Amino acid sequence: MRPAVRQKLKRRFAETLDLPPSVVLDQAVIHIFGDSEVKIVNHKGLVQYSTACVKTRAVQGLIEVGGSELEIAFFSAQEIKIRGRIRQVMLK
Amino acid sequence: MTQLLWLWWQGYLTVRLRGAGIERLLNRASQVGVALFRVERLTSDVVLVRMAARDFRLLRPLLREAVNGPRISVSVLDRHGLPFVLRRFRRRSFLGVGLGLAVLAVFYLANFVWFVQVFGNQALAVEAIKTAVEDAGLRMGIPRSSLDPARIERKLLESLPDLVWVQVKNRGVRVEVHVVERDEAESGEQRAGHIYAKQDGLVTELLVLQGTAQIREGDTVRKDDLLISGMYYDHQGRRQYGAARGIVKARVWYEAVGEASLVRWEPLRTGRRRSRYLLTVGPLTVPIGRSLPRENHLVTSRTWQLYLGTAMAPVSWTRLDYEEVEWETVPVPAAEAEQNAYELAWESLLAQGVDRERVLVEKRAVENLADGNGIRVTVRVEVLEDIGRFSGQ
Repeated sequence: MRPAVRQKLKRRFAETLDLPPSVVLDQAVIHIFGDSEVKIVNHKGLVQYSTACVKTRAVQGLIEVGGSELEIAFFSAQEIKIRGRIRQVMLK
Repeated sequence: MTQLLWLWWQGYLTVRLRGAGIERLLNRASQVGVALFRVERLTSDVVLVRMAARDFRLLRPLLREAVNGPRISVSVLDRHGLPFVLRRFRRRSFLGVGLGLAVLAVFYLANFVWFVQVFGNQALAVEAIKTAVEDAGLRMGIPRSSLDPARIERKLLESLPDLVWVQVKNRGVRVEVHVVERDEAESGEQRAGHIYAKQDGLVTELLVLQGTAQIREGDTVRKDDLLISGMYYDHQGRRQYGAARGIVKARVWYEAVGEASLVRWEPLRTGRRRSRYLLTVGPLTVPIGRSLPRENHLVTSRTWQLYLGTAMAPVSWTRLDYEEVEWETVPVPAAEAEQNAYELAWESLLAQGVDRERVLVEKRAVENLADGNGIRVTVRVEVLEDIGRFSGQ
C-alpha cells in the first residue's frame, strides 16, 4: 500500500473512532509558549540549527522555527525544546 | 528545574563540538539515548552542548561511525555537578574537613544560649532584670540542656519584688524573659498618703472617699497642690492618718504645636540596582560586597535564618538590595500640610496623656512659618479629667 493511501486510511480511522490524530498518524505535536519557547514532541530528527533558525523533520513535513538568539534547551529522540525570541513557526 | 537539579546531582559536562554536519551527530546521539541540554550555536562550525557525564562514553563510538563523513572534534570544556565537587574535595581534603568541622561547630554551638531578651518591662531597667537573670543562673554561653525555666522564674520573682509574673521561653539559642510589673496603684493602695494634683486645672467635681478635702469645687489648683489629705477623724473623734482616697475632676488645658513643610522630597528611581550580602554567625557579621551611601539609595533587606529542626541556629544570611534614587521636591497642597501639622500636634497631645474622647473644647490656630516654606498649627484643648495623684509616705 502506498504511504499516502496508508496515511489517508489512518486519518479516517482516527476521525471515526474520535482518537487524537497525532497519536494515530505519528505526527509531531508543537507547543508554543508565548514568544520565548517552542516544544516539538515526536520529531524525526534535527535538520539545521543556527541562532536564527531551527529546522526539524516530522511526519507532516519540515517544521521551521525562526527567530533570534535561538538555543536548544533540551534535545532527545522524542522531544526538542527551543528557547529564544520566537518570531515564526512554519510547516513546509 | 527538577531536570537540571537531577543533572547536577549526576554530574554533567560542557562539551564543544567543532566541524561540519553537527546536526547529524546530534541526531545519532539522541537515537542512542543521549539527552542534550542547552545546545548553543557559537559559530557556524562550533556548538556547545551539556550532557550527563555518564552519557559521554556513548558519544565516542558515534564519532568513529562518522569517519567517512565530515570530521567532528569533541572536547570537554568543563565539568559540573556533585560528583566533580566531591572529587575536588577528595583532592583538597583539608577544605572538606574544614567545611565538615564548620557544620559540626554550628550544630555544637546551637546547643548553647547566646541571646537573652527581656520583654514587657516598663519601670524596671532591662539591665536590672538581666543582672537578676544572670544571678538566677541564666547567662550567655550556658548549655541549653541545663536551662530550668521554672527555677529561673521563681528566683526572679524572689529577687525582684516589683515583678508579679515572669515567663522564661526557650527559643533555640535565644531565651526570652517575659515580665509583668506590679501596678503602682495596687502596691500603694494600703499605704498612708495624700492625693496631689498632677496638673493645673479648675476643679469641677470633688468626691472624698477617705481623708480630708483641702480644696473646693470651683477652685483653681496648680500642679503638686495638696487636694485630699490622708488625715481624717474616725467615728470616735480621734485623728487618724491613712490613705487618702477620692476623685478630683477638673478642667485641664493642654496645648501642642505641629509643623509641616509645604514641600516634600520624593525619591526618583534611576533604575540602577546593586546587592550586598551579610553573613551573620553569632555576634559576628561578615559583609560581602561594597556598602553604598544611604542618602541616594533605597535599601530593602531579606534575611534567611538557619533552623536546626525547631531550634534557631546562630547563623543567618541577609541580602541588601540597593536601589539608586535621586531626590526631587514636590509641592504639598496647603490643606494637606495643615492636616499633617494638625495630626502632629495631636500626636504630641496624645503623648502628653490627653484622652481624645474626653475633650470638651478644641481650638486650632494656623499660621505660616516665617520662611514661607511651612505651616504651623497650634491646638489647644480643654479636657475633663481626674487630676488626683496618690503619693504614699
